[in-house]
Amino acid sequence: MKATIMPDQPPTTEPNRGEATEQTTMVQLTGVTKQYQHFQLEPVDLQLPAGMVMGLIGPNGAGKSTIMRIMMGLVNPNSGTVQVLGQTMSSNASIVKQEIGYFSDDLRLYGAESLGWHMQFVRSLYPHWDQEYAQMLLSRFGLLEQQRIKGLSHGQRVKAMLLLILARRPKLLILDEPTNGLDPVAKQEVLAELMQVMNDDDRSIIYSSHQTQDVEQISDWLTFIDRGRVIASDNRDDFLECWRRIKLRAPESWKMPPIPGLRHESQLQNFRVLTIDRFHSRVAETLVASGAEVEAIETMTLEEIFVGVVMRGREIESR
Amino acid sequence: MNANAVRILFLKDLYLSRRFLFGYLAGAMASAIMTCLPYKAASDVGFILMITVTIATGIHMIGLLMLGDGLEHTRAFVLSMPVSVLDYSVSKIAVVLCTFLIPWSLMLGLAMMGSFLLPYAKPGVVVVLPAIFCFMLSCFTIQLVSAVVTDSIGWTIVVMVAGNVGLNLFLMNFNADPSVIAAAKSETVTWPPLVLQVLAVEWLVILGAIAMAFYFQTRKRDLV
Repeated sequence: MKATIMPDQPPTTEPNRGEATEQTTMVQLTGVTKQYQHFQLEPVDLQLPAGMVMGLIGPNGAGKSTIMRIMMGLVNPNSGTVQVLGQTMSSNASIVKQEIGYFSDDLRLYGAESLGWHMQFVRSLYPHWDQEYAQMLLSRFGLLEQQRIKGLSHGQRVKAMLLLILARRPKLLILDEPTNGLDPVAKQEVLAELMQVMNDDDRSIIYSSHQTQDVEQISDWLTFIDRGRVIASDNRDDFLECWRRIKLRAPESWKMPPIPGLRHESQLQNFRVLTIDRFHSRVAETLVASGAEVEAIETMTLEEIFVGVVMRGREIESR
Repeated sequence: MNANAVRILFLKDLYLSRRFLFGYLAGAMASAIMTCLPYKAASDVGFILMITVTIATGIHMIGLLMLGDGLEHTRAFVLSMPVSVLDYSVSKIAVVLCTFLIPWSLMLGLAMMGSFLLPYAKPGVVVVLPAIFCFMLSCFTIQLVSAVVTDSIGWTIVVMVAGNVGLNLFLMNFNADPSVIAAAKSETVTWPPLVLQVLAVEWLVILGAIAMAFYFQTRKRDLV
Protein backbone atom coordinates (compact mmCIF):
# COMPACT_ATOMS: atom_id res chain seq x y z
CA MET A 1 0.00 0.00 0.00
CA LYS A 2 1.39 3.37 -0.91
CA ALA A 3 0.64 6.49 1.04
CA THR A 4 0.89 10.17 0.20
CA ILE A 5 1.02 13.05 2.66
CA MET A 6 -0.67 16.19 1.37
CA PRO A 7 0.76 19.65 2.05
CA ASP A 8 -1.48 21.89 4.03
CA GLN A 9 -2.00 25.47 5.06
CA PRO A 10 -0.27 26.59 8.25
CA PRO A 11 -2.42 26.07 11.37
CA THR A 12 -4.45 28.86 12.84
CA THR A 13 -3.54 29.18 16.49
CA GLU A 14 -6.15 31.67 17.63
CA PRO A 15 -9.70 30.66 18.41
CA ASN A 16 -11.94 32.13 15.75
CA ARG A 17 -15.36 31.61 17.25
CA GLY A 18 -17.47 34.73 17.16
CA GLU A 19 -18.30 34.66 20.86
CA ALA A 20 -14.70 34.05 21.89
CA THR A 21 -13.44 37.37 20.62
CA GLU A 22 -15.97 39.21 22.76
CA GLN A 23 -14.78 37.53 25.96
CA THR A 24 -11.92 38.51 28.22
CA THR A 25 -8.63 36.95 27.24
CA MET A 26 -7.22 34.90 30.10
CA VAL A 27 -3.91 33.94 28.49
CA GLN A 28 -2.16 35.47 25.52
CA LEU A 29 1.20 34.21 24.27
CA THR A 30 2.77 36.18 21.44
CA GLY A 31 5.87 34.94 19.64
CA VAL A 32 7.07 33.03 22.68
CA THR A 33 10.26 31.02 22.20
CA LYS A 34 12.49 29.05 24.51
CA GLN A 35 15.82 27.49 23.75
CA TYR A 36 17.26 24.60 25.74
CA GLN A 37 20.34 22.62 24.90
CA HIS A 38 18.40 19.87 23.13
CA PHE A 39 15.02 21.48 22.63
CA GLN A 40 13.71 24.56 20.90
CA LEU A 41 10.22 25.94 21.41
CA GLU A 42 9.43 27.72 18.17
CA PRO A 43 7.40 30.96 18.22
CA VAL A 44 4.12 30.19 19.94
CA ASP A 45 1.02 32.36 19.62
CA LEU A 46 -1.89 31.22 21.76
CA GLN A 47 -4.97 32.88 23.10
CA LEU A 48 -7.37 31.54 25.72
CA PRO A 49 -10.66 33.38 26.21
CA ALA A 50 -12.43 33.30 29.59
CA GLY A 51 -14.62 30.31 30.29
CA MET A 52 -12.88 28.09 27.78
CA VAL A 53 -11.08 24.80 28.29
CA MET A 54 -8.11 24.41 26.02
CA GLY A 55 -6.54 21.00 25.63
CA LEU A 56 -2.86 20.96 24.75
CA ILE A 57 -2.14 17.65 23.11
CA GLY A 58 1.30 16.49 22.16
CA PRO A 59 3.64 13.54 22.40
CA ASN A 60 6.12 13.33 25.27
CA GLY A 61 8.76 16.04 24.88
CA ALA A 62 6.62 18.10 22.52
CA GLY A 63 6.88 21.28 24.61
CA LYS A 64 3.57 21.25 26.49
CA SER A 65 5.17 21.53 29.94
CA THR A 66 7.55 24.25 28.75
CA ILE A 67 4.61 26.33 27.49
CA MET A 68 2.79 25.87 30.80
CA ARG A 69 5.87 26.76 32.87
CA ILE A 70 6.27 29.88 30.77
CA MET A 71 2.61 30.76 31.40
CA MET A 72 3.25 30.34 35.13
CA GLY A 73 6.39 32.50 35.07
CA LEU A 74 8.46 29.56 36.31
CA VAL A 75 10.54 29.64 33.14
CA ASN A 76 11.44 32.82 31.29
CA PRO A 77 11.03 32.75 27.51
CA ASN A 78 13.94 33.81 25.30
CA SER A 79 11.59 36.05 23.35
CA GLY A 80 7.94 36.97 23.07
CA THR A 81 5.38 38.26 25.55
CA VAL A 82 3.22 36.41 28.04
CA GLN A 83 0.05 38.02 29.32
CA VAL A 84 -2.02 36.19 31.90
CA LEU A 85 -5.26 37.66 33.27
CA GLY A 86 -4.40 40.91 31.55
CA GLN A 87 -1.04 41.30 33.26
CA THR A 88 2.46 40.88 31.90
CA MET A 89 3.79 37.75 33.53
CA SER A 90 7.45 38.78 33.66
CA SER A 91 6.75 41.78 35.93
CA ASN A 92 3.57 40.81 37.79
CA ALA A 93 3.93 37.06 38.28
CA SER A 94 3.37 37.01 42.03
CA ILE A 95 0.16 39.07 41.75
CA VAL A 96 -1.20 37.07 38.84
CA LYS A 97 -0.49 33.76 40.57
CA GLN A 98 -3.11 34.68 43.21
CA GLU A 99 -5.67 33.73 40.56
CA ILE A 100 -3.97 30.68 39.06
CA GLY A 101 -4.01 27.05 40.08
CA TYR A 102 -1.10 25.16 38.56
CA PHE A 103 -0.71 21.41 38.56
CA SER A 104 2.24 19.52 37.19
CA ASP A 105 3.76 16.13 37.76
CA ASP A 106 6.95 18.06 38.57
CA LEU A 107 5.38 19.58 41.66
CA ARG A 108 5.93 17.76 44.92
CA LEU A 109 4.49 18.37 48.34
CA TYR A 110 6.57 18.02 51.51
CA GLY A 111 6.58 14.26 52.14
CA ALA A 112 7.09 14.41 55.90
CA GLU A 113 4.20 16.80 56.48
CA SER A 114 0.47 16.13 56.56
CA LEU A 115 -2.16 17.24 54.07
CA GLY A 116 -3.66 19.41 56.82
CA TRP A 117 -0.32 21.22 57.24
CA HIS A 118 -0.19 21.85 53.49
CA MET A 119 -3.75 23.20 53.58
CA GLN A 120 -2.74 25.63 56.33
CA PHE A 121 0.38 26.66 54.42
CA VAL A 122 -1.43 27.29 51.13
CA ARG A 123 -4.28 29.02 52.95
CA SER A 124 -1.83 31.49 54.49
CA LEU A 125 -0.85 32.66 50.99
CA TYR A 126 -4.37 32.80 49.50
CA PRO A 127 -6.91 35.19 50.96
CA HIS A 128 -9.66 33.61 48.82
CA TRP A 129 -9.07 30.11 50.19
CA ASP A 130 -12.42 28.34 50.53
CA GLN A 131 -12.17 26.12 53.62
CA GLU A 132 -15.69 24.75 53.21
CA TYR A 133 -14.94 23.66 49.66
CA ALA A 134 -11.61 22.20 50.82
CA GLN A 135 -13.44 20.10 53.42
CA MET A 136 -15.91 18.95 50.78
CA LEU A 137 -13.09 17.94 48.45
CA LEU A 138 -11.39 16.08 51.29
CA SER A 139 -14.45 13.93 51.71
CA ARG A 140 -15.15 13.60 47.98
CA PHE A 141 -11.57 12.48 47.28
CA GLY A 142 -11.49 10.21 50.35
CA LEU A 143 -8.53 12.04 51.90
CA LEU A 144 -7.76 12.77 55.55
CA GLU A 145 -6.13 15.96 56.82
CA GLN A 146 -3.79 14.07 59.14
CA GLN A 147 -2.42 11.83 56.36
CA ARG A 148 1.25 12.39 55.66
CA ILE A 149 2.06 13.02 52.02
CA LYS A 150 4.72 10.30 51.86
CA GLY A 151 2.09 7.74 52.90
CA LEU A 152 -0.24 8.60 50.04
CA SER A 153 -0.55 6.65 46.81
CA HIS A 154 0.12 8.42 43.49
CA GLY A 155 -3.60 8.88 42.90
CA GLN A 156 -4.10 10.32 46.38
CA ARG A 157 -1.19 12.72 45.87
CA VAL A 158 -2.73 13.98 42.65
CA LYS A 159 -6.05 14.48 44.43
CA ALA A 160 -4.31 16.20 47.35
CA MET A 161 -2.58 18.57 44.95
CA LEU A 162 -5.85 19.26 43.14
CA LEU A 163 -7.54 19.97 46.46
CA LEU A 164 -4.83 22.50 47.31
CA ILE A 165 -5.31 24.13 43.92
CA LEU A 166 -9.10 24.12 43.64
CA ALA A 167 -9.79 25.41 47.17
CA ARG A 168 -7.98 28.63 46.20
CA ARG A 169 -10.87 29.25 43.81
CA PRO A 170 -8.56 30.26 40.95
CA LYS A 171 -9.86 31.96 37.81
CA LEU A 172 -7.39 30.05 35.67
CA LEU A 173 -6.31 26.44 36.00
CA ILE A 174 -3.14 25.31 34.28
CA LEU A 175 -3.05 21.54 34.49
CA ASP A 176 -0.06 19.70 33.11
CA GLU A 177 -0.95 16.03 32.62
CA PRO A 178 -3.03 15.74 35.80
CA THR A 179 -4.35 12.28 34.97
CA ASN A 180 -0.94 10.75 34.25
CA GLY A 181 -0.51 7.44 36.02
CA LEU A 182 -4.01 7.40 37.52
CA ASP A 183 -6.16 4.29 37.56
CA PRO A 184 -9.43 4.58 35.55
CA VAL A 185 -11.56 5.27 38.64
CA ALA A 186 -9.28 7.96 40.02
CA LYS A 187 -9.01 9.48 36.54
CA GLN A 188 -12.80 9.74 36.25
CA GLU A 189 -13.01 11.29 39.74
CA VAL A 190 -10.47 13.93 38.78
CA LEU A 191 -12.11 14.66 35.42
CA ALA A 192 -15.57 14.81 37.04
CA GLU A 193 -14.30 17.38 39.55
CA LEU A 194 -12.77 19.45 36.77
CA MET A 195 -16.04 19.38 34.85
CA GLN A 196 -17.77 20.51 38.03
CA VAL A 197 -15.31 23.37 38.28
CA MET A 198 -16.24 24.43 34.77
CA ASN A 199 -19.77 25.22 35.91
CA ASP A 200 -18.29 28.56 36.85
CA ASP A 201 -18.52 30.26 33.47
CA ASP A 202 -15.67 32.67 34.05
CA ARG A 203 -13.16 30.01 34.89
CA SER A 204 -10.72 28.84 32.23
CA ILE A 205 -8.60 25.76 32.04
CA ILE A 206 -5.54 24.84 30.04
CA TYR A 207 -5.15 21.11 30.20
CA SER A 208 -2.26 19.19 28.71
CA SER A 209 -2.04 15.50 28.05
CA HIS A 210 -0.88 12.97 25.55
CA GLN A 211 -4.03 10.96 26.32
CA THR A 212 -6.53 12.29 23.84
CA GLN A 213 -9.61 10.71 25.46
CA ASP A 214 -9.10 12.71 28.67
CA VAL A 215 -8.65 15.95 26.79
CA GLU A 216 -11.61 15.25 24.52
CA GLN A 217 -13.90 14.86 27.55
CA ILE A 218 -13.38 18.32 28.98
CA SER A 219 -11.89 20.55 26.28
CA ASP A 220 -13.72 22.80 23.89
CA TRP A 221 -10.61 24.03 22.12
CA LEU A 222 -7.70 21.82 21.07
CA THR A 223 -4.12 22.71 20.30
CA PHE A 224 -1.74 20.11 18.94
CA ILE A 225 1.97 20.48 19.65
CA ASP A 226 4.85 18.48 18.29
CA ARG A 227 8.60 18.98 18.51
CA GLY A 228 8.27 22.46 19.95
CA ARG A 229 5.79 23.71 17.35
CA VAL A 230 2.07 24.38 17.47
CA ILE A 231 0.88 22.34 14.51
CA ALA A 232 -2.88 22.82 14.75
CA SER A 233 -5.37 24.66 16.92
CA ASP A 234 -9.13 24.54 16.51
CA ASN A 235 -12.49 24.07 18.12
CA ARG A 236 -12.89 20.47 19.30
CA ASP A 237 -16.21 19.99 17.51
CA ASP A 238 -14.76 21.37 14.30
CA PHE A 239 -11.91 18.89 14.52
CA LEU A 240 -14.32 16.01 15.01
CA GLU A 241 -16.82 17.25 12.40
CA CYS A 242 -14.37 18.10 9.66
CA TRP A 243 -12.10 15.08 9.75
CA ARG A 244 -13.29 12.00 7.83
CA ARG A 245 -11.80 8.82 6.50
CA ILE A 246 -13.29 7.91 3.11
CA LYS A 247 -12.90 4.38 1.79
CA LEU A 248 -13.48 3.99 -1.92
CA ARG A 249 -12.86 1.77 -4.90
CA ALA A 250 -11.66 3.14 -8.20
CA PRO A 251 -9.76 1.78 -11.19
CA GLU A 252 -5.98 2.08 -10.93
CA SER A 253 -6.09 4.54 -13.83
CA TRP A 254 -8.56 6.73 -11.89
CA LYS A 255 -7.51 10.35 -11.60
CA MET A 256 -8.59 11.87 -8.32
CA PRO A 257 -10.44 15.19 -8.63
CA PRO A 258 -9.26 18.11 -6.46
CA ILE A 259 -10.49 17.48 -2.90
CA PRO A 260 -10.26 20.39 -0.47
CA GLY A 261 -8.51 19.47 2.77
CA LEU A 262 -7.07 16.19 1.55
CA ARG A 263 -4.53 15.19 4.16
CA HIS A 264 -3.52 11.69 3.28
CA GLU A 265 -4.11 9.13 0.58
CA SER A 266 -3.23 5.46 0.59
CA GLN A 267 -3.85 2.93 -2.13
CA LEU A 268 -3.83 -0.85 -2.50
CA GLN A 269 -4.66 -1.79 -6.10
CA ASN A 270 -8.13 -0.31 -6.68
CA PHE A 271 -8.90 0.24 -2.98
CA ARG A 272 -8.14 3.67 -1.62
CA VAL A 273 -8.40 5.44 1.73
CA LEU A 274 -8.54 9.22 1.83
CA THR A 275 -8.22 11.30 4.98
CA ILE A 276 -9.65 14.80 4.74
CA ASP A 277 -9.92 17.62 7.26
CA ARG A 278 -12.61 19.74 5.55
CA PHE A 279 -15.34 17.21 5.00
CA HIS A 280 -18.55 18.22 3.29
CA SER A 281 -21.29 16.13 1.68
CA ARG A 282 -20.21 17.50 -1.70
CA VAL A 283 -16.89 15.66 -1.32
CA ALA A 284 -18.63 12.30 -1.71
CA GLU A 285 -20.63 13.61 -4.67
CA THR A 286 -17.45 14.82 -6.36
CA LEU A 287 -15.80 11.44 -5.87
CA VAL A 288 -18.78 9.52 -7.24
CA ALA A 289 -19.03 11.88 -10.21
CA SER A 290 -15.37 11.19 -11.00
CA GLY A 291 -16.06 7.45 -11.30
CA ALA A 292 -15.15 6.23 -7.82
CA GLU A 293 -17.37 4.00 -5.73
CA VAL A 294 -17.53 5.31 -2.15
CA GLU A 295 -17.72 2.35 0.24
CA ALA A 296 -17.66 4.14 3.58
CA ILE A 297 -17.31 7.54 5.17
CA GLU A 298 -16.02 7.14 8.73
CA THR A 299 -15.70 9.61 11.54
CA MET A 300 -12.30 9.72 13.21
CA THR A 301 -11.38 9.68 16.86
CA LEU A 302 -9.41 12.57 18.28
CA GLU A 303 -6.45 10.24 18.65
CA GLU A 304 -6.56 9.36 14.96
CA ILE A 305 -6.84 13.02 14.05
CA PHE A 306 -3.95 13.89 16.34
CA VAL A 307 -1.74 11.15 14.92
CA GLY A 308 -2.70 12.25 11.43
CA VAL A 309 -1.76 15.86 12.12
CA VAL A 310 1.52 14.94 13.81
CA MET A 311 2.59 12.49 11.11
CA ARG A 312 1.77 14.96 8.38
CA GLY A 313 3.70 17.69 10.16
CA ARG A 314 6.75 15.47 10.56
CA GLU A 315 6.56 14.37 6.95
CA ILE A 316 6.49 17.96 5.73
CA GLU A 317 9.34 18.86 8.12
CA SER A 318 11.52 16.04 6.81
CA ARG A 319 11.13 17.08 3.15
CA MET B 1 9.07 42.32 47.73
CA ASN B 2 6.10 40.92 49.63
CA ALA B 3 7.12 40.90 53.31
CA ASN B 4 4.19 38.70 54.29
CA ALA B 5 5.11 36.04 51.73
CA VAL B 6 8.75 36.16 52.89
CA ARG B 7 7.64 35.73 56.51
CA ILE B 8 5.38 32.78 55.65
CA LEU B 9 8.11 31.05 53.62
CA PHE B 10 10.70 31.72 56.33
CA LEU B 11 8.49 30.23 59.05
CA LYS B 12 7.62 27.30 56.81
CA ASP B 13 11.30 26.42 56.33
CA LEU B 14 12.06 26.96 60.01
CA TYR B 15 9.25 24.53 60.81
CA LEU B 16 10.46 21.98 58.27
CA SER B 17 13.97 22.05 59.74
CA ARG B 18 12.81 22.03 63.37
CA ARG B 19 13.84 18.46 64.23
CA PHE B 20 17.36 18.88 62.86
CA LEU B 21 17.66 22.31 64.40
CA PHE B 22 16.79 20.94 67.85
CA GLY B 23 19.32 18.14 67.29
CA TYR B 24 22.07 20.60 66.40
CA LEU B 25 21.13 22.84 69.32
CA ALA B 26 21.44 19.84 71.64
CA GLY B 27 24.81 19.03 70.06
CA ALA B 28 25.89 22.64 70.46
CA MET B 29 24.89 22.68 74.13
CA ALA B 30 26.62 19.35 74.82
CA SER B 31 29.85 20.40 73.10
CA ALA B 32 29.85 23.81 74.83
CA ILE B 33 29.32 22.15 78.21
CA MET B 34 32.18 19.73 77.49
CA THR B 35 34.57 22.57 76.76
CA CYS B 36 33.72 24.01 80.15
CA LEU B 37 34.54 20.79 82.06
CA PRO B 38 37.65 21.08 84.28
CA TYR B 39 39.62 18.48 82.33
CA LYS B 40 41.83 19.38 79.40
CA ALA B 41 40.91 16.23 77.45
CA ALA B 42 37.18 16.91 77.85
CA SER B 43 37.71 20.53 76.89
CA ASP B 44 39.64 19.56 73.75
CA VAL B 45 37.00 17.01 72.74
CA GLY B 46 34.33 19.62 73.40
CA PHE B 47 36.09 22.10 71.12
CA ILE B 48 36.44 19.53 68.34
CA LEU B 49 32.75 18.68 68.79
CA MET B 50 31.87 22.37 68.49
CA ILE B 51 33.69 22.60 65.17
CA THR B 52 32.02 19.37 64.03
CA VAL B 53 28.54 20.55 65.00
CA THR B 54 29.12 23.89 63.23
CA ILE B 55 30.30 22.23 60.00
CA ALA B 56 27.51 19.62 60.12
CA THR B 57 24.84 22.27 60.73
CA GLY B 58 26.05 24.33 57.79
CA ILE B 59 26.18 21.57 55.22
CA HIS B 60 22.96 19.97 56.43
CA MET B 61 20.91 23.16 56.36
CA ILE B 62 22.22 24.16 52.94
CA GLY B 63 21.42 20.68 51.65
CA LEU B 64 18.01 20.50 53.29
CA LEU B 65 16.70 23.99 52.71
CA MET B 66 18.58 25.35 49.71
CA LEU B 67 19.37 22.34 47.51
CA GLY B 68 16.60 20.05 48.80
CA ASP B 69 13.85 22.25 47.36
CA GLY B 70 15.22 21.73 43.88
CA LEU B 71 15.97 18.04 44.29
CA GLU B 72 12.61 17.23 45.85
CA HIS B 73 10.69 19.40 43.34
CA THR B 74 9.10 21.34 46.20
CA ARG B 75 10.55 24.58 44.77
CA ALA B 76 8.13 24.38 41.84
CA PHE B 77 5.26 23.88 44.30
CA VAL B 78 6.25 26.97 46.29
CA LEU B 79 6.89 29.10 43.21
CA SER B 80 3.55 28.11 41.70
CA MET B 81 1.98 30.18 44.48
CA PRO B 82 1.92 34.00 44.72
CA VAL B 83 5.60 34.24 45.53
CA SER B 84 8.18 36.14 43.51
CA VAL B 85 11.73 34.96 42.90
CA LEU B 86 12.88 37.77 45.20
CA ASP B 87 10.51 36.70 48.00
CA TYR B 88 11.69 33.13 47.63
CA SER B 89 15.37 34.07 47.54
CA VAL B 90 15.22 36.41 50.54
CA SER B 91 13.36 33.86 52.65
CA LYS B 92 15.68 31.00 51.64
CA ILE B 93 18.94 32.82 52.32
CA ALA B 94 17.54 34.27 55.55
CA VAL B 95 16.33 30.93 56.89
CA VAL B 96 19.54 29.08 55.96
CA LEU B 97 21.60 31.78 57.69
CA CYS B 98 19.28 31.75 60.68
CA THR B 99 19.35 27.97 61.16
CA PHE B 100 23.16 28.11 61.04
CA LEU B 101 23.53 31.16 63.24
CA ILE B 102 21.33 29.85 66.08
CA PRO B 103 23.62 26.95 67.14
CA TRP B 104 26.71 28.92 66.01
CA SER B 105 25.94 31.87 68.26
CA LEU B 106 24.91 29.59 71.12
CA MET B 107 28.27 27.81 71.00
CA LEU B 108 30.23 31.03 70.62
CA GLY B 109 28.30 32.66 73.45
CA LEU B 110 28.68 29.71 75.84
CA ALA B 111 32.37 29.31 75.02
CA MET B 112 33.00 33.04 75.60
CA MET B 113 31.00 32.96 78.81
CA GLY B 114 32.99 29.95 79.98
CA SER B 115 36.27 31.75 79.40
CA PHE B 116 35.13 34.47 81.82
CA LEU B 117 33.34 32.34 84.40
CA LEU B 118 35.43 29.19 84.72
CA PRO B 119 38.19 29.49 87.30
CA TYR B 120 40.86 27.73 85.22
CA ALA B 121 40.09 29.56 81.94
CA LYS B 122 41.92 32.70 80.84
CA PRO B 123 39.72 35.67 79.85
CA GLY B 124 42.14 36.42 77.02
CA VAL B 125 40.77 33.42 75.09
CA VAL B 126 37.77 35.60 74.34
CA VAL B 127 39.68 37.28 71.50
CA VAL B 128 40.62 33.98 69.84
CA LEU B 129 37.15 32.43 69.79
CA PRO B 130 35.41 34.99 67.52
CA ALA B 131 38.18 34.70 64.92
CA ILE B 132 37.79 30.91 64.79
CA PHE B 133 33.97 31.00 64.75
CA CYS B 134 33.87 33.74 62.14
CA PHE B 135 36.20 31.67 59.96
CA MET B 136 33.63 28.87 60.10
CA LEU B 137 30.86 31.36 59.35
CA SER B 138 32.76 32.65 56.33
CA CYS B 139 33.27 29.05 55.09
CA PHE B 140 29.53 28.50 55.51
CA THR B 141 28.60 31.61 53.51
CA ILE B 142 30.94 30.54 50.70
CA GLN B 143 29.23 27.13 50.68
CA LEU B 144 25.91 28.95 50.52
CA VAL B 145 27.04 30.90 47.45
CA SER B 146 28.28 27.73 45.78
CA ALA B 147 24.93 26.03 46.46
CA VAL B 148 23.04 29.00 45.00
CA VAL B 149 25.24 29.28 41.92
CA THR B 150 25.67 25.59 41.10
CA ASP B 151 22.46 24.11 42.57
CA SER B 152 24.59 20.99 42.95
CA ILE B 153 25.26 18.84 46.00
CA GLY B 154 28.52 17.65 44.46
CA TRP B 155 29.99 21.10 44.00
CA THR B 156 28.79 22.22 47.41
CA ILE B 157 30.55 19.25 49.02
CA VAL B 158 33.74 20.13 47.11
CA VAL B 159 33.55 23.66 48.54
CA MET B 160 32.83 22.26 52.01
CA VAL B 161 35.89 20.00 51.85
CA ALA B 162 38.02 22.94 50.70
CA GLY B 163 36.62 24.99 53.58
CA ASN B 164 37.49 22.27 56.11
CA VAL B 165 41.03 22.01 54.78
CA GLY B 166 41.22 25.80 54.99
CA LEU B 167 39.97 25.71 58.59
CA ASN B 168 42.71 23.24 59.59
CA LEU B 169 45.39 25.39 57.96
CA PHE B 170 43.92 28.47 59.59
CA LEU B 171 43.88 26.88 63.07
CA MET B 172 47.45 25.63 62.69
CA ASN B 173 48.81 29.04 61.67
CA PHE B 174 46.56 31.27 63.73
CA ASN B 175 47.07 29.37 67.00
CA ALA B 176 50.84 29.28 66.43
CA ASP B 177 51.16 33.04 66.12
CA PRO B 178 53.01 34.47 69.20
CA SER B 179 50.67 37.48 69.52
CA VAL B 180 47.62 35.18 69.49
CA ILE B 181 49.21 32.79 72.04
CA ALA B 182 50.07 35.70 74.30
CA ALA B 183 46.57 37.17 74.04
CA ALA B 184 44.93 33.79 74.75
CA LYS B 185 46.99 33.29 77.90
CA SER B 186 46.44 36.81 79.14
CA GLU B 187 44.43 37.55 82.30
CA THR B 188 42.99 40.60 80.56
CA VAL B 189 41.26 40.96 77.21
CA THR B 190 43.62 42.44 74.68
CA TRP B 191 43.04 42.45 70.91
CA PRO B 192 46.25 41.87 68.93
CA PRO B 193 46.33 43.57 65.49
CA LEU B 194 46.47 40.18 63.75
CA VAL B 195 43.14 39.10 65.33
CA LEU B 196 41.49 42.37 64.28
CA GLN B 197 42.83 42.00 60.73
CA VAL B 198 41.61 38.42 60.55
CA LEU B 199 38.17 39.43 61.82
CA ALA B 200 37.97 42.27 59.29
CA VAL B 201 38.82 39.93 56.39
CA GLU B 202 36.37 37.31 57.65
CA TRP B 203 33.51 39.82 57.82
CA LEU B 204 34.35 41.12 54.36
CA VAL B 205 34.11 37.56 53.06
CA ILE B 206 30.86 36.90 54.99
CA LEU B 207 29.11 40.05 53.78
CA GLY B 208 30.45 39.67 50.25
CA ALA B 209 29.32 36.06 50.07
CA ILE B 210 25.82 36.88 51.33
CA ALA B 211 25.55 39.72 48.80
CA MET B 212 26.69 37.36 46.04
CA ALA B 213 24.18 34.72 47.13
CA PHE B 214 21.35 37.27 46.80
CA TYR B 215 22.72 38.54 43.51
CA PHE B 216 22.96 35.15 41.85
CA GLN B 217 19.72 33.80 43.29
CA THR B 218 17.62 36.74 42.15
CA ARG B 219 19.19 36.73 38.66
CA LYS B 220 18.25 33.14 37.90
CA ARG B 221 15.98 33.00 34.87
CA ASP B 222 14.54 29.54 35.37
CA LEU B 223 13.99 28.18 38.84
CA VAL B 224 12.47 24.84 37.88
